[in-house]
Amino acid sequence: MGKCFSTLQFHASRCDGCGDCMTACAQAKAKTDDHAYSRIHILPKIAGEDVELALCRQCADPVCVMNCPSGALTKNADTGVIDWADSKCVNCLLCTAGCAYAGIVYDAEVGHVSKCDQCDGDPACVKACPNEALEYRTAARIFNDYADKEDMFCRGLSACHGCNSELLMRHTMRKVGPEVVMAAPPGCVPGMGAVGYNGQTGSKFPVFHSLLTNTATMLAGVKRQYNRVGRDVLAMTIAGDGGTADAGFQSVSGAAERNDPILFICVDNEGYMNTGMQSSGVTPYGSWTSTTPVGGAMQGKRTEAKNLPIIMTMHNCSYVATASTAFLEDYYAKLTKAIEVAKTGMAYLHVHAPCPTGWRFPSGMTTEVCRMQVRTNFIALWEYDPANGLRFTHPVDRPQPVADYLKMIGKYRHLSEEQVSHIQHTVDDKIAYLRQLTQMAAERRPAPAHKVAVGNTVSA
Amino acid sequence: MHSKYLIVGSSHAALEAATAIRLIDADGALTLLTRDAHLPYSPTILPYVVSGRSQPDNVVLRNQAYFKDNAIAFVPGATVVSLDPARSSLRLASGESWQYDRLLIATGASPMLPKVAGLADVPFHVLRSMDDAIHLRQAMGQARSAIVLGAGLIGMHAAENMAKAKIAVTVVELQPHALAGYFEPKASAIIERTFARNGVTMLMGQTLRSVERQGDGCLATLADGTTITADLLLVCTGVKPNIGFLDGSGIEIDAGILVDDLMRTNLPNIWAAGDVAQARGFWGGKVVNGILPNAVEQGRIAGAGMADDAGVQPFPGAVPLNTYSFFGQQAISVGRSGGPGSEVAEGGSEDSYRHIVLKDGHLVGIATINDFVDAGIMWQLILRGTDLSPVKSEFIANPQLTGRRLMSQIWR
Amino acid sequence: MSAVTEPSRLATNKPSFVVCEGNEAAAIGVGLSRPDVVAVYPITPQSSLVEHLSQMIADGRLRADLMNVEGEHAVMCGLQGVALAGGRTFTATCGPGLAFMFEPYVRTPGLRLPMVASLVTRDLLSPQCVWGGQQDAMVVRDAGWIQMYCETVQEILDTTVMAYKIAEHRDVMLPINVCHDGNYLSFGVTRVEVPDQQEVDDFLGPPNVNWHIALDPSRPMGVDPLTGGAGGAGPRNFVRYRKGQVRGMQNALRVIREVHAAWGEKFGRYHAPLVEEYRLDDADTALVTIGSMTGAAKDAVDIARDKGEAVGLIKIKTFRPFPLQAMVAALAKVKRIGVVDRSVSFGWNCGPVYQETLGALYHTGKSIPVISFIGGLAGADITVEHFARAIALTRELQWGRDPNEPVWLNEND
Ligand SMILES: Cc1cc2nc3c(=O)[nH]c(=O)nc-3n(C[C@H](O)[C@H](O)[C@H](O)COP(=O)(O)OP(=O)(O)OC[C@H]3O[C@@H](n4cnc5c(N)ncnc54)[C@H](O)[C@@H]3O)c2cc1C
Ligand code: SF4
Repeated sequence: MGKCFSTLQFHASRCDGCGDCMTACAQAKAKTDDHAYSRIHILPKIAGEDVELALCRQCADPVCVMNCPSGALTKNADTGVIDWADSKCVNCLLCTAGCAYAGIVYDAEVGHVSKCDQCDGDPACVKACPNEALEYRTAARIFNDYADKEDMFCRGLSACHGCNSELLMRHTMRKVGPEVVMAAPPGCVPGMGAVGYNGQTGSKFPVFHSLLTNTATMLAGVKRQYNRVGRDVLAMTIAGDGGTADAGFQSVSGAAERNDPILFICVDNEGYMNTGMQSSGVTPYGSWTSTTPVGGAMQGKRTEAKNLPIIMTMHNCSYVATASTAFLEDYYAKLTKAIEVAKTGMAYLHVHAPCPTGWRFPSGMTTEVCRMQVRTNFIALWEYDPANGLRFTHPVDRPQPVADYLKMIGKYRHLSEEQVSHIQHTVDDKIAYLRQLTQMAAERRPAPAHKVAVGNTVSA
Repeated sequence: MHSKYLIVGSSHAALEAATAIRLIDADGALTLLTRDAHLPYSPTILPYVVSGRSQPDNVVLRNQAYFKDNAIAFVPGATVVSLDPARSSLRLASGESWQYDRLLIATGASPMLPKVAGLADVPFHVLRSMDDAIHLRQAMGQARSAIVLGAGLIGMHAAENMAKAKIAVTVVELQPHALAGYFEPKASAIIERTFARNGVTMLMGQTLRSVERQGDGCLATLADGTTITADLLLVCTGVKPNIGFLDGSGIEIDAGILVDDLMRTNLPNIWAAGDVAQARGFWGGKVVNGILPNAVEQGRIAGAGMADDAGVQPFPGAVPLNTYSFFGQQAISVGRSGGPGSEVAEGGSEDSYRHIVLKDGHLVGIATINDFVDAGIMWQLILRGTDLSPVKSEFIANPQLTGRRLMSQIWR
Repeated sequence: MSAVTEPSRLATNKPSFVVCEGNEAAAIGVGLSRPDVVAVYPITPQSSLVEHLSQMIADGRLRADLMNVEGEHAVMCGLQGVALAGGRTFTATCGPGLAFMFEPYVRTPGLRLPMVASLVTRDLLSPQCVWGGQQDAMVVRDAGWIQMYCETVQEILDTTVMAYKIAEHRDVMLPINVCHDGNYLSFGVTRVEVPDQQEVDDFLGPPNVNWHIALDPSRPMGVDPLTGGAGGAGPRNFVRYRKGQVRGMQNALRVIREVHAAWGEKFGRYHAPLVEEYRLDDADTALVTIGSMTGAAKDAVDIARDKGEAVGLIKIKTFRPFPLQAMVAALAKVKRIGVVDRSVSFGWNCGPVYQETLGALYHTGKSIPVISFIGGLAGADITVEHFARAIALTRELQWGRDPNEPVWLNEND
């Protein structure tokens, strides 16, 4: 299969034209603040229009490379960056004729053409941008690493159009591979046919329909037996929030306390979406659901969602993290850790999973909704382990107002201004609380040198 | 021998055609026949081989590993001498014959020799092939004086190289100005002045009447009677397409092989691209546009068509274009320098130059010296017919920034 | 190597003798059966059983994995996981614990997982109580588990081992509750004979519990996909599974007899596998009993016999599957019957064993009078005197004196 590459993404609407990226680039490439040396060119705003950008797009079919008579330009097969070789370049400028975006330009200061080289995968400009207008998107790596791996589900699971859980499942199991036993408690995961119907299964690995209430424990049992016979089999689940936070909670809590070596992934679609959008313990305040409806006497859910991932950290199990499918790299990084951790202790991943059907937004918007959850701090992406405490993996320091998120989603359509500001307030509080935890983590004293056996894995 | 795709030539047009074919058809037999003995290189690099800046083995555009990885048969030293379209076959100088399903003629051009009395009897150089470049470089090592006949790009490059090698150079040009094909007289004048400042004798608007042998060198006599002696004579008076082997094939030829917008010739299963082809001109008619970017684009179109790529885009029409560095200065020219109904905005300072040609709010041409504009962007503005009226004054004041903004907007 | 390795007790190749309570006897039986994983959650009067097991594991005498989980629900779920991954399991519970376990408990037979679990029977709430009674076991008599009720401490040990052999039999593949009465058997101390480990190993063979259904990457399958619904293959599939389950139950009647016979042959102790007939052949009156009450009942029968009364006893060991044939054969021998239950059937105003005995009687083709006695609830003792009264009342049936309602034995204690 072909290869995909990392790219620099520019969000024009977030750019205020400050030019810090150009300073950073000039510093990185020529140790000067002079923007003339920058290889990224922020094109100043003109009235009523966005800031624009001239930057090498590292094209897949780079005409600059084709136009180069010397062989100085080549598309790097590993990085996708169009490399420029000083030793070969003869300064004919024909490459500049091949580029429609001024990605490679003559730089009078240095006396030859110059172009962005993505700083060997760590672009200085991105780090310098105070507005997150520049993003270094490395998600292509995921494609490169996993596209050739087998999709562990059959084609055509019967998930709803735009379903986030199916995306998550396919990604997750592709990464996990076949040495696994997966549990699917009642919910959308088996609902879409992952376990199967009438003797046929939707999965290519051992999968079972656990109870809503027992998933973690049953997995712990599976893992016990494989540990006993010395086989390395990952015991994991992709469970809904009902099977995790509500009826399933005792089992999850017990497994976490015992630090049973399992991987527990909660797909949090904020309610019982599979059975007709009823409210669950993690349904956020104000949500319309079929059991917290909107009427004269009630305007959606009247209580707050419980903060399940934080509760999980309080169990001191080996690893806890939140994730979003709009930030797949972040998810993969966490999944990778979690899989490793689950050999010896419990790893808990809480994946926020907006549901187009149950939340009432267009199915094409799922990833955008996911992204907005993070951008508004409605959810935060973090990870935790007992030794290092909690840390943000994608801190959002200048969040958009939560109203921007709420207005994308039908289940919040009825919200009054007071309700919206109440939600904003709880979001702020939640973030402040998490910040305190990260602060604590930063200040925590180092763990004592002696080692205590943790985990209930003693086996004869 | 048989090849599903047969390409004659191994330079820009040929190479891009091969790439385009491989995008669609990963393993259909694909063969490159070339009369050259070397791995593919660009004629454009030759001035730098002459100057010594580039080494012949360091300018290879595709190596054997590439051909192996892409299952392309690269056959050097194969000169095609005739085409028999009825049999879908080519004959080589060696006598070997090749059958094809689809043929691309990308044989480029060769130097055109002027009718100058005595030329056949004196040693002279041309510059189109690697071997030419190597010979010229050797000759320059011995020479103290030189005549460059023709002030086109090749001649000017060579003259600069010679001047830098401390050779006394005289450039003789029929036209009143150097680089007349790309620049209008004002710009040419700046360039000529620079050359003169660097010790090159620029004899513009002069006809060479005759040459005769003098020792190892030659004696040249101009139309006005002036005589110049030189150790070395380089003839750069333009190029002619390599079409001799097509005699009697029935292929339609004017100044080059006539092709449609998909680079198809009049004969079935035969395409032509690059310096050998005569295709749509952007402002009408059919032209041979002997520049590298043109060969690249036409090669891509031809290859896509040969492989039945459904996404093949027709050729939008040839636009003259050049980027030219001389003595550390940059000259850029895209499009035309004038034309009926157009308005011209000039700018620049003592050591820089800017010449913008607009017609009905659309860009027709732009030429600059020491005033960098992005040739690629200007080219696109012309090809796309982008309406510049709303930003006309900004464009004239700052074509680089305005052009970049426009293209950035189009990208998003 | 021996699973139960405490040298003083079990290191020799010969059977040894210990004096222990019923719960410890069960634990010893479990140890001899070498389970892979034991999951425990304590509950009175089961606790000492799992304490004994935990200690055996802590001492290294039993090389099993110990899962200390957060409740009975988790116990059953964890063990289902183990079994699906191929391990032999054990647990024990009772009363409210069983009620909490109910959700996964009822699923186990459907998955055809051959687990063994002790039910240290206890009465159900409310009124609040922590003592013996068989209400818990009787409530789940149609959950699909095999139920065998033990009479003695020795029988607990022996039945626990045999239970693995029965459950894991390919024709059965069903979970078994080895029931012993809370308090009376769980804490009753007697001398028991402990069989030799090697002999037990030979008797049981290695576990093979997930050949039919597994969570195993080397045999990937979807375990328990949704089945049933109206139309299509759904209902048909569901019926196929259910009928298989019922067939397994019926096969168990044969297998239980075979295994008990094999046990007797190997270890010299023959326990009645389904139904025990005691002094029945020439009896006209019989008591029907179940569980540990039988000891006192037999004493009462002996006393009656000494008085010349033709009284016998029918003890039910295997209540699920219901041993219809054996019961019919026994019931056919007598003219009147008194059935003693340690639990009640709320809907029928009688004891459940009584009710089922009536069902069996139908198959004898005779209509004879039967009395329902209910006693021993919530830890109450059913003494020899109580049984003597039951015998007397049952004998009075011959004169047409039928109470026509259950007799609550401890009502006036
Ligand atoms: C010195 C020099 C400087 C230049 N500088 C510039 C510049 O600055 N900018 C610019 O845009 N352009 C420049 N050009 C022009 C540019 O190099 C050409 O436009 C371009 O190379 C055309 O490519 P092509 O593939 O059409 O043909 P060519 O490059 O001419 O290649 C033709 C190929 O066909 C082969 N061939 C020819 N006849 C036969 C035959 N009968 N049998 C087999 N094989 C045959 C040749 O071996 C060669 O491989 C320059 C050219 C020269 C010579
Ligand atoms: S300027 Fe350098 S990199 Fe660009 S085309 Fe010319 S030789 Fe190649």
